[in-house]
Amino acid sequence: MTRTARALATAALLALAVGARPAGQGRGGGGTPQLDLSVSPLSVTFASADPDTTPIVAAVPVVVSVRVRQNPGPWTLTVLAGGDLLAGSATVDISNVSWTATPAPPFQNGTLSKTVAQRLASGTGNVNPAQNGSVTFRLVNSWTYTAANYTQTVVFTLSAP
Amino acid sequence: MIAPRRLLTALIAWTVVSPAAGAAAQASTATISANVATLAKLTLSRSTAAFPDADPDTMPQVAATGGAITISVKARARPATVVLLTVQASGDLRSGLSVIPATNITWTATGTGFVAGTVSAVSPVTLASWTGSGLRSGTQSLFFRNLWTHPTGTFTVSLVYTLTSP
Repeated sequence: MTRTARALATAALLALAVGARPAGQGRGGGGTPQLDLSVSPLSVTFASADPDTTPIVAAVPVVVSVRVRQNPGPWTLTVLAGGDLLAGSATVDISNVSWTATPAPPFQNGTLSKTVAQRLASGTGNVNPAQNGSVTFRLVNSWTYTAANYTQTVVFTLSAP
Repeated sequence: MIAPRRLLTALIAWTVVSPAAGAAAQASTATISANVATLAKLTLSRSTAAFPDADPDTMPQVAATGGAITISVKARARPATVVLLTVQASGDLRSGLSVIPATNITWTATGTGFVAGTVSAVSPVTLASWTGSGLRSGTQSLFFRNLWTHPTGTFTVSLVYTLTSP
Protein backbone atom coordinates (compact mmCIF):
# COMPACT_ATOMS: atom_id res chain seq x y z
CA MET A 1 0.00 0.00 0.00
CA THR A 2 1.42 3.36 -0.98
CA ARG A 3 1.71 6.22 1.44
CA THR A 4 -1.07 8.03 -0.37
CA ALA A 5 -3.39 5.09 -0.22
CA ARG A 6 -2.58 4.57 3.45
CA ALA A 7 -3.35 8.21 4.21
CA LEU A 8 -6.56 8.01 2.29
CA ALA A 9 -7.65 4.88 4.12
CA THR A 10 -6.89 6.50 7.47
CA ALA A 11 -8.87 9.58 6.53
CA ALA A 12 -11.77 7.46 5.41
CA LEU A 13 -11.81 5.56 8.69
CA LEU A 14 -11.69 8.79 10.63
CA ALA A 15 -14.53 10.18 8.56
CA LEU A 16 -16.61 7.08 9.10
CA ALA A 17 -15.85 7.11 12.80
CA VAL A 18 -17.04 10.67 13.12
CA GLY A 19 -20.03 10.00 10.91
CA ALA A 20 -21.01 7.04 13.03
CA ARG A 21 -20.94 8.99 16.30
CA PRO A 22 -23.51 8.01 18.86
CA ALA A 23 -27.00 9.25 18.26
CA GLY A 24 -27.56 12.69 19.58
CA GLN A 25 -23.94 13.59 19.84
CA GLY A 26 -23.54 16.53 17.53
CA ARG A 27 -20.53 18.26 16.34
CA GLY A 28 -18.93 21.13 18.10
CA GLY A 29 -19.41 19.56 21.53
CA GLY A 30 -22.92 20.96 22.09
CA GLY A 31 -24.74 17.83 20.96
CA THR A 32 -28.33 17.20 19.99
CA PRO A 33 -30.48 15.95 22.85
CA GLN A 34 -31.44 12.35 22.56
CA LEU A 35 -35.04 11.75 23.55
CA ASP A 36 -36.91 8.54 24.13
CA LEU A 37 -40.66 8.38 24.73
CA SER A 38 -42.95 5.44 25.14
CA VAL A 39 -46.62 5.25 26.06
CA SER A 40 -48.31 2.06 27.15
CA PRO A 41 -50.99 1.08 26.49
CA LEU A 42 -51.71 3.16 23.41
CA SER A 43 -55.44 2.97 23.96
CA VAL A 44 -57.37 4.73 26.70
CA THR A 45 -60.90 3.46 27.26
CA PHE A 46 -63.69 4.96 29.33
CA ALA A 47 -66.40 2.51 30.27
CA SER A 48 -70.03 3.53 30.35
CA ALA A 49 -71.31 4.50 33.77
CA ASP A 50 -74.26 6.09 35.55
CA PRO A 51 -73.50 9.82 35.86
CA ASP A 52 -75.27 9.92 39.24
CA THR A 53 -73.07 7.28 40.84
CA THR A 54 -69.94 7.86 38.73
CA PRO A 55 -69.70 11.54 37.86
CA ILE A 56 -66.07 11.05 36.81
CA VAL A 57 -65.05 7.98 34.83
CA ALA A 58 -61.41 6.96 35.19
CA ALA A 59 -59.55 4.90 32.62
CA VAL A 60 -56.86 2.36 33.33
CA PRO A 61 -53.62 4.28 34.01
CA VAL A 62 -51.20 4.80 31.15
CA VAL A 63 -47.47 4.45 31.76
CA VAL A 64 -45.45 7.17 30.07
CA SER A 65 -41.73 6.58 29.98
CA VAL A 66 -39.37 9.48 29.36
CA ARG A 67 -35.62 9.39 28.84
CA VAL A 68 -33.58 12.49 28.05
CA ARG A 69 -29.85 12.38 27.34
CA GLN A 70 -27.19 14.81 26.21
CA ASN A 71 -29.49 17.64 27.05
CA PRO A 72 -28.11 20.73 28.74
CA GLY A 73 -31.38 22.65 28.67
CA PRO A 74 -35.09 22.24 29.37
CA TRP A 75 -37.29 19.44 28.10
CA THR A 76 -41.07 19.20 27.87
CA LEU A 77 -43.63 16.46 27.39
CA THR A 78 -46.94 17.67 26.01
CA VAL A 79 -50.21 16.09 24.96
CA LEU A 80 -52.55 17.39 22.28
CA ALA A 81 -55.93 15.97 21.23
CA GLY A 82 -56.79 15.69 17.55
CA GLY A 83 -60.25 17.10 18.26
CA ASP A 84 -63.31 16.45 20.34
CA LEU A 85 -64.49 12.92 21.10
CA LEU A 86 -66.42 11.90 17.99
CA ALA A 87 -69.09 9.35 17.16
CA GLY A 88 -70.59 10.23 13.81
CA SER A 89 -72.23 13.59 14.24
CA ALA A 90 -72.26 13.27 18.03
CA THR A 91 -69.47 14.98 19.95
CA VAL A 92 -68.21 15.30 23.48
CA ASP A 93 -65.97 18.28 24.06
CA ILE A 94 -62.43 17.10 24.66
CA SER A 95 -62.12 19.50 27.59
CA ASN A 96 -64.21 16.96 29.51
CA VAL A 97 -61.13 14.74 29.55
CA SER A 98 -58.51 15.54 32.14
CA TRP A 99 -55.66 13.60 33.68
CA THR A 100 -53.82 13.13 36.92
CA ALA A 101 -50.16 12.17 36.73
CA THR A 102 -47.53 11.01 39.18
CA PRO A 103 -44.82 11.48 40.25
CA ALA A 104 -44.98 15.25 40.41
CA PRO A 105 -42.60 16.64 39.39
CA PRO A 106 -41.78 16.08 36.66
CA PHE A 107 -45.32 15.01 35.76
CA GLN A 108 -48.31 17.24 36.32
CA ASN A 109 -52.10 17.17 36.08
CA GLY A 110 -53.98 18.82 33.25
CA THR A 111 -56.92 18.94 30.88
CA LEU A 112 -56.91 17.95 27.23
CA SER A 113 -57.15 20.57 24.55
CA LYS A 114 -57.62 20.22 20.82
CA THR A 115 -55.95 23.55 20.06
CA VAL A 116 -53.03 23.99 22.46
CA ALA A 117 -50.63 21.25 23.49
CA GLN A 118 -50.87 20.83 27.25
CA ARG A 119 -47.84 20.16 29.42
CA LEU A 120 -47.75 16.70 30.95
CA ALA A 121 -44.21 16.81 32.26
CA SER A 122 -41.16 19.05 32.15
CA GLY A 123 -37.68 19.45 33.54
CA THR A 124 -34.14 20.50 32.89
CA GLY A 125 -31.12 18.46 31.93
CA ASN A 126 -31.05 14.70 31.60
CA VAL A 127 -33.47 12.06 32.72
CA ASN A 128 -31.36 8.94 32.60
CA PRO A 129 -32.27 6.23 33.32
CA ALA A 130 -35.79 6.64 31.99
CA GLN A 131 -38.49 7.81 34.35
CA ASN A 132 -41.96 6.33 34.30
CA GLY A 133 -45.04 8.39 34.95
CA SER A 134 -48.50 7.06 35.69
CA VAL A 135 -51.16 9.01 33.86
CA THR A 136 -54.82 8.41 34.63
CA PHE A 137 -57.26 9.99 32.19
CA ARG A 138 -60.67 10.96 33.51
CA LEU A 139 -63.90 11.77 31.70
CA VAL A 140 -66.57 14.04 33.15
CA ASN A 141 -69.71 11.92 32.94
CA SER A 142 -72.99 13.53 31.94
CA TRP A 143 -76.61 12.69 31.23
CA THR A 144 -76.46 15.04 28.27
CA TYR A 145 -74.03 12.90 26.26
CA THR A 146 -75.56 11.16 23.29
CA ALA A 147 -75.29 7.40 23.64
CA ALA A 148 -72.55 6.26 21.26
CA ASN A 149 -68.99 4.98 21.08
CA TYR A 150 -66.65 7.94 20.83
CA THR A 151 -63.01 8.01 19.74
CA GLN A 152 -60.22 10.50 19.30
CA THR A 153 -56.44 10.46 19.05
CA VAL A 154 -54.01 12.23 21.32
CA VAL A 155 -50.38 12.93 20.50
CA PHE A 156 -47.72 12.85 23.18
CA THR A 157 -44.66 14.89 22.21
CA LEU A 158 -41.36 14.93 24.07
CA SER A 159 -39.15 17.81 23.00
CA ALA A 160 -35.99 19.57 24.01
CA PRO A 161 -35.67 22.84 22.20
CA MET B 1 -3.20 12.29 -6.53
CA ILE B 2 -6.13 14.23 -7.89
CA ALA B 3 -8.65 11.41 -7.52
CA PRO B 4 -7.66 10.45 -3.95
CA ARG B 5 -7.81 14.11 -2.90
CA ARG B 6 -11.29 14.45 -4.30
CA LEU B 7 -12.34 11.32 -2.44
CA LEU B 8 -10.85 12.60 0.79
CA THR B 9 -12.64 15.92 0.35
CA ALA B 10 -15.89 14.14 -0.30
CA LEU B 11 -15.51 12.02 2.81
CA ILE B 12 -14.80 15.02 4.99
CA ALA B 13 -17.67 16.93 3.46
CA TRP B 14 -20.02 13.98 4.12
CA THR B 15 -18.89 13.93 7.71
CA VAL B 16 -19.57 17.63 8.14
CA VAL B 17 -23.00 17.72 6.55
CA SER B 18 -24.32 14.41 7.85
CA PRO B 19 -27.25 14.98 10.22
CA ALA B 20 -27.13 14.12 13.87
CA ALA B 21 -28.82 10.83 14.62
CA GLY B 22 -30.47 12.12 17.82
CA ALA B 23 -33.87 13.78 17.66
CA ALA B 24 -35.04 16.94 19.37
CA ALA B 25 -38.60 15.67 19.51
CA GLN B 26 -40.27 12.31 19.91
CA ALA B 27 -43.99 11.72 19.46
CA SER B 28 -46.35 8.91 20.29
CA THR B 29 -50.03 8.69 19.37
CA ALA B 30 -52.68 7.07 21.53
CA THR B 31 -56.39 6.55 21.01
CA ILE B 32 -59.07 7.57 23.47
CA SER B 33 -62.38 5.71 23.40
CA ALA B 34 -65.48 6.43 25.43
CA ASN B 35 -68.44 4.11 25.56
CA VAL B 36 -71.62 5.98 26.41
CA ALA B 37 -74.47 3.49 26.67
CA THR B 38 -78.18 4.20 26.71
CA LEU B 39 -79.48 4.77 30.18
CA ALA B 40 -82.75 5.91 31.74
CA LYS B 41 -83.72 6.92 35.23
CA LEU B 42 -87.20 7.89 36.43
CA THR B 43 -88.06 9.45 39.78
CA LEU B 44 -91.56 10.19 41.12
CA SER B 45 -91.98 12.47 44.11
CA ARG B 46 -94.39 9.98 45.63
CA SER B 47 -95.73 6.57 44.83
CA THR B 48 -99.32 6.83 46.06
CA ALA B 49 -102.32 8.93 45.12
CA ALA B 50 -105.71 8.95 46.79
CA PHE B 51 -109.01 10.40 45.67
CA PRO B 52 -111.31 11.37 48.57
CA ASP B 53 -115.03 10.71 48.48
CA ALA B 54 -117.05 13.61 47.09
CA ASP B 55 -120.48 14.61 45.83
CA PRO B 56 -120.55 14.15 42.05
CA ASP B 57 -122.75 17.22 41.64
CA THR B 58 -120.41 19.58 43.40
CA MET B 59 -117.13 17.85 42.45
CA PRO B 60 -117.36 16.01 39.12
CA GLN B 61 -113.56 15.81 38.96
CA VAL B 62 -111.80 14.82 42.17
CA ALA B 63 -108.16 15.82 42.44
CA ALA B 64 -105.73 13.45 44.11
CA THR B 65 -104.71 14.44 47.60
CA GLY B 66 -101.19 15.75 47.99
CA GLY B 67 -101.23 17.74 44.79
CA ALA B 68 -99.25 17.14 41.69
CA ILE B 69 -96.61 14.44 41.37
CA THR B 70 -93.21 15.78 40.43
CA ILE B 71 -91.53 13.63 37.81
CA SER B 72 -87.80 13.72 37.08
CA VAL B 73 -86.38 12.02 34.04
CA LYS B 74 -82.75 11.40 33.16
CA ALA B 75 -82.00 9.72 29.89
CA ARG B 76 -79.11 9.05 27.57
CA ALA B 77 -80.36 8.15 24.13
CA ARG B 78 -78.86 7.42 20.74
CA PRO B 79 -78.80 10.24 18.20
CA ALA B 80 -82.20 11.50 17.03
CA THR B 81 -84.15 8.93 19.04
CA VAL B 82 -87.20 9.58 21.20
CA VAL B 83 -87.17 9.20 24.96
CA LEU B 84 -90.67 8.15 25.96
CA LEU B 85 -92.49 8.18 29.30
CA THR B 86 -95.77 6.28 29.41
CA VAL B 87 -98.41 5.37 31.98
CA GLN B 88 -100.55 2.25 32.02
CA ALA B 89 -102.96 0.93 34.64
CA SER B 90 -102.47 -2.61 35.80
CA GLY B 91 -106.20 -3.07 35.37
CA ASP B 92 -109.42 -1.32 36.26
CA LEU B 93 -110.13 0.14 39.69
CA ARG B 94 -111.37 -2.71 41.85
CA SER B 95 -113.07 -3.09 45.20
CA GLY B 96 -113.92 -6.70 45.70
CA LEU B 97 -116.14 -7.59 42.79
CA SER B 98 -116.93 -3.97 42.01
CA VAL B 99 -115.13 -2.40 39.10
CA ILE B 100 -114.65 1.15 37.85
CA PRO B 101 -112.91 1.47 34.48
CA ALA B 102 -109.38 2.88 34.68
CA THR B 103 -110.32 5.41 32.01
CA ASN B 104 -112.03 7.40 34.78
CA ILE B 105 -108.59 8.56 35.85
CA THR B 106 -107.19 11.45 33.86
CA TRP B 107 -104.27 13.80 34.29
CA THR B 108 -103.01 17.23 33.43
CA ALA B 109 -99.31 17.94 33.19
CA THR B 110 -96.79 20.74 33.19
CA GLY B 111 -93.26 20.80 31.87
CA THR B 112 -91.60 20.64 28.49
CA GLY B 113 -92.54 17.46 26.68
CA PHE B 114 -95.36 16.51 29.09
CA VAL B 115 -98.92 16.10 27.83
CA ALA B 116 -102.32 15.52 29.42
CA GLY B 117 -103.99 12.15 29.05
CA THR B 118 -106.36 9.45 30.19
CA VAL B 119 -105.27 6.26 31.92
CA SER B 120 -105.81 3.02 30.08
CA ALA B 121 -105.68 -0.53 31.32
CA VAL B 122 -105.23 -1.78 27.79
CA SER B 123 -102.20 0.07 26.45
CA PRO B 124 -99.58 2.55 27.64
CA VAL B 125 -100.45 6.21 27.21
CA THR B 126 -97.82 8.84 26.55
CA LEU B 127 -97.16 11.14 29.48
CA ALA B 128 -94.06 12.81 28.00
CA SER B 129 -91.60 12.51 25.16
CA TRP B 130 -88.36 14.16 24.13
CA THR B 131 -85.66 13.79 21.52
CA GLY B 132 -82.17 12.88 22.62
CA SER B 133 -80.33 12.79 25.90
CA GLY B 134 -80.90 15.10 28.83
CA LEU B 135 -82.49 15.82 32.17
CA ARG B 136 -86.15 16.80 32.25
CA SER B 137 -88.79 17.37 34.87
CA GLY B 138 -92.49 18.08 35.04
CA THR B 139 -95.61 17.51 37.08
CA GLN B 140 -98.60 15.28 36.72
CA SER B 141 -101.91 16.04 38.45
CA LEU B 142 -104.28 13.06 38.68
CA PHE B 143 -108.06 13.37 38.63
CA PHE B 144 -110.91 10.92 39.14
CA ARG B 145 -114.11 11.33 37.17
CA ASN B 146 -116.81 11.26 39.83
CA LEU B 147 -120.14 9.78 38.74
CA TRP B 148 -123.37 8.83 40.47
CA THR B 149 -123.20 5.54 38.63
CA HIS B 150 -119.98 4.39 40.24
CA PRO B 151 -120.40 1.54 42.70
CA THR B 152 -119.47 2.28 46.29
CA GLY B 153 -116.34 0.97 47.89
CA THR B 154 -112.67 1.65 48.30
CA PHE B 155 -111.06 1.05 44.94
CA THR B 156 -107.44 0.55 44.15
CA VAL B 157 -105.29 0.18 41.06
CA SER B 158 -101.60 0.40 40.22
CA LEU B 159 -100.24 2.77 37.61
CA VAL B 160 -97.06 1.69 35.88
CA TYR B 161 -94.74 4.45 34.65
CA THR B 162 -92.31 3.34 32.00
CA LEU B 163 -89.37 5.37 30.69
CA THR B 164 -87.66 4.14 27.56
CA SER B 165 -84.46 5.49 26.08
CA PRO B 166 -83.61 3.71 22.83
